[in-house]
Amino acid sequence: MIALINWLETRTGVKALMHEAFNERVPGGARWRYVWGSTLVFTFVLQMITGFMLWSAYSPSTRTAWESVYHIQHEMFLGNIIRGLHHYAAQGMVVLMAIHLIQVIIDGAYKAPREVNFWLGIVLMMIVLGLSLTGYLLPWDQKGYYATQVTTNIMSATPVVGREVQVLAQGGSDYGHLTLTRFFAMHAGILPTLLVGFLVLHIYVFRRHGLTVHDPKRAPDTTFWPDQVLKDSVACLAVLAVVLLLAMFRAPELSAPADPAVKFDAARPEWYFLFLFRFLKFHAVESLGVTFGAIIVPGIIMGIIAAMPITAKVLGNLGHTLNRAFTWALALGVVVLTLMAFYEDANNVEHQAALTEAHRDGQRAIELSTGPDKIPVEGAVTLLREDPFTHGPRLFAQHCSSCHRFNGHDGRGSLVTEAGKTDEAPSVIAAPTAADLGGFGNRQWMTAIVMDYSNHFAWMKNSTWFRDAQAKHAAGGTVDYINPDSSEMADWTSGNLDALKSADNADNVKALVEFLAAETGHAGTTYDAALVEKGRDLAIKGSWAGALNGTSCASCHDTIGQDFPTQPDDSTASSYPTLAKYASLAWLKDFIRHPDAARHYGAKNQMVVYSSQKLSDENLDLLVRWMTNDYTASTVHDYQDQLEVLKASLASNASGVAAPKGNK
Amino acid sequence: MTSTSPEIPAAGSVDLPISVETPRRSLLVQLITGMLSFLIIAVPSTLSGLFFLDPILRKRKAVSDDTADGEVPRKDEAGFIRLDVTKEAVPQDGTPLSVTVNDDLVDAWNMFRDVPVGSIWLRKVGDGPILAFNSICPHLGCSVDYIREENEFYCPCHASAFALDGKKMNDIPPRDLDVLEVSMRTHGQQDANGHEIWVKFQNFQRATSDKIVI
Ligand code: FES
Repeated sequence: MIALINWLETRTGVKALMHEAFNERVPGGARWRYVWGSTLVFTFVLQMITGFMLWSAYSPSTRTAWESVYHIQHEMFLGNIIRGLHHYAAQGMVVLMAIHLIQVIIDGAYKAPREVNFWLGIVLMMIVLGLSLTGYLLPWDQKGYYATQVTTNIMSATPVVGREVQVLAQGGSDYGHLTLTRFFAMHAGILPTLLVGFLVLHIYVFRRHGLTVHDPKRAPDTTFWPDQVLKDSVACLAVLAVVLLLAMFRAPELSAPADPAVKFDAARPEWYFLFLFRFLKFHAVESLGVTFGAIIVPGIIMGIIAAMPITAKVLGNLGHTLNRAFTWALALGVVVLTLMAFYEDANNVEHQAALTEAHRDGQRAIELSTGPDKIPVEGAVTLLREDPFTHGPRLFAQHCSSCHRFNGHDGRGSLVTEAGKTDEAPSVIAAPTAADLGGFGNRQWMTAIVMDYSNHFAWMKNSTWFRDAQAKHAAGGTVDYINPDSSEMADWTSGNLDALKSADNADNVKALVEFLAAETGHAGTTYDAALVEKGRDLAIKGSWAGALNGTSCASCHDTIGQDFPTQPDDSTASSYPTLAKYASLAWLKDFIRHPDAARHYGAKNQMVVYSSQKLSDENLDLLVRWMTNDYTASTVHDYQDQLEVLKASLASNASGVAAPKGNK
Repeated sequence: MTSTSPEIPAAGSVDLPISVETPRRSLLVQLITGMLSFLIIAVPSTLSGLFFLDPILRKRKAVSDDTADGEVPRKDEAGFIRLDVTKEAVPQDGTPLSVTVNDDLVDAWNMFRDVPVGSIWLRKVGDGPILAFNSICPHLGCSVDYIREENEFYCPCHASAFALDGKKMNDIPPRDLDVLEVSMRTHGQQDANGHEIWVKFQNFQRATSDKIVI
């Protein structure tokens, strides 16, 4: 062993090198406060190790980036841990860097003769920020995509060369394959190489001047090895433990694949840039423009920091005091702004809803990718684009939610609001003016139609057309309108309620409901075939017990039990709405396109007619398939039911709002 | 301020032994320090090493086929794949016919439906059974051609030659051409007189004298 070392020594001088590295003098004894630089080097090494691993499985293109990151995290052995380590160590590096910088300034370690090393440190800091910025885009998910858009657009606000800088960074005028290949080359090649180079210089110059020691008399001098190394490794171990635990128990999120056509309302930068984000939102800052807030101000701050050694030199102790005061003020400002941003987001209903949706979309993308069909070559983004579970709610919110609700919300989990009575008044929760379509066509829905018709459609009574019609009616006019309280259907259910509720008909009602629900053909429910047949008999022949006997659905709705025609027309329409496969995919599509057709509501119709100009065939398909459960089943946490919340807030706010009583 | 640092000699000049008052730490401390330093690098390295071994360590999940209801799947449980050509297409005179084999291909996160996964040589002598060879050369994996003039299979890479029955004709290849199992069927059902050609398409380890499925 000794011989080997000597052999090496004569050829490489390794012993002297080791000696120099490990016997570095630590005046005043080893201290915990010297560990920060070492933890930074350690996290960088950790990033190199995990980064090379991710590199071995990452594929930078707009059709494979998200997909390969998905593959790493959800398919590969320990992939979630490797990505988690890299994700959290990156954030750890920023935090450690901030601590290191503050300490250097507080301790005066930036002053002569260490100015150059201070500047080297600032260059390193820029490189690390560049690494985190480029890394954020690489998964090509909605979160990274939209956050990075903001950054590259800020770049474009740079005076004079802004546009060119942006195009260079993006590899073109828009985001695409080349944006990813360039960001990846920056992230995994150019910036790390620069970082290693500057780090070597930084450490070399540091060794030249040694530690900045306050009181060398505090304890006897010691050497780097083992005293300081022990403290350093304990600190590094703590860093490792934290990032490992986070990676294990709080896997980094992979939001939905980037889609320029799908808005991402939850966009935020990485949390350590939130302060800047919040700063830009101040009205005063906003009014001065992006260039001022995002480039000039940060530029001035960096300039002040870089000039600190000069300030201290010129102004002496006063300069140092000023520098320290500036640092503390800056740190305080960053902390306050960050907390403000967090606090405001936490209390921002819309942002929380957007976060919920982002989460839902992301989980859904992963769920679909995990399926036995894997991911199509066109990319996972098409999985979502063609997914009713993802786009149905958005289409509902866009087209239907001005009148209808879905379990009390707008389809996307939010309550619908309208402007307050006056300009200054805050917006208020809007009352629905048409049926709540949550659970459309299921057993409860059918039960409500049969037993509780007026109440079930009570929301309609909030509409202007209903009130107008009632007013006209009260004034003695004749109006033909849909009245949930008074119509042949309403009269049938209320007039026969006792009979319907009688013990003799209990099974019959159950059977009829089973039949009606089965006719919808909605996926995800199994129906009792015998009960369905019994229900069909009731619907068509009216084989009820007691006073109801002989009253069948078919005597008015003559097409009940039939298939919904592929080319529906009004040639055989009666004056009653068709119930042929009521609430099925085919029925609903036709209804949305032609609610005013004689086979549906005819002249009484109040619903907007959705022609293909208003709602394309593709979108109609997505919307209707969502409403009829025609999509790959999901275990993703869906939007919360808001019906009770809606009812409660309507009851407390407004007077005279009609709402169905009881639970649905 | 009090924090002005005293001038410290550059590290290069600290060659003198550590001053007597500096306590030499016990072996134990050195040992612990060494172990900790090792640990902080060993943990991420080990995790990374295991991640890198993913192709060996991970179990593959089952994937679906997209056969429509009522249709005979293109591939059966035993791995036989229906070719696009039928018995009639194979020349009667024993001339080999090159055929592309299509299958669903799983590539990491992607699934490619019904894409070429390889090519084979089909051959029939008179009314005898149809023979199928994988066209990959058992030497080092180039693809084997049919040379009409010589009436033999020939690999342009290192000059392996095979007779039309697949037997190697020189000592370059380590074994004969790889014969694939063939099954004649009608609507996917075994039938010696059937017209559909089903082949159990497999690739084999190159450069070994044994035929090992990969
Ligand atoms: S690969 Fe065919 S002869 Fe070498």
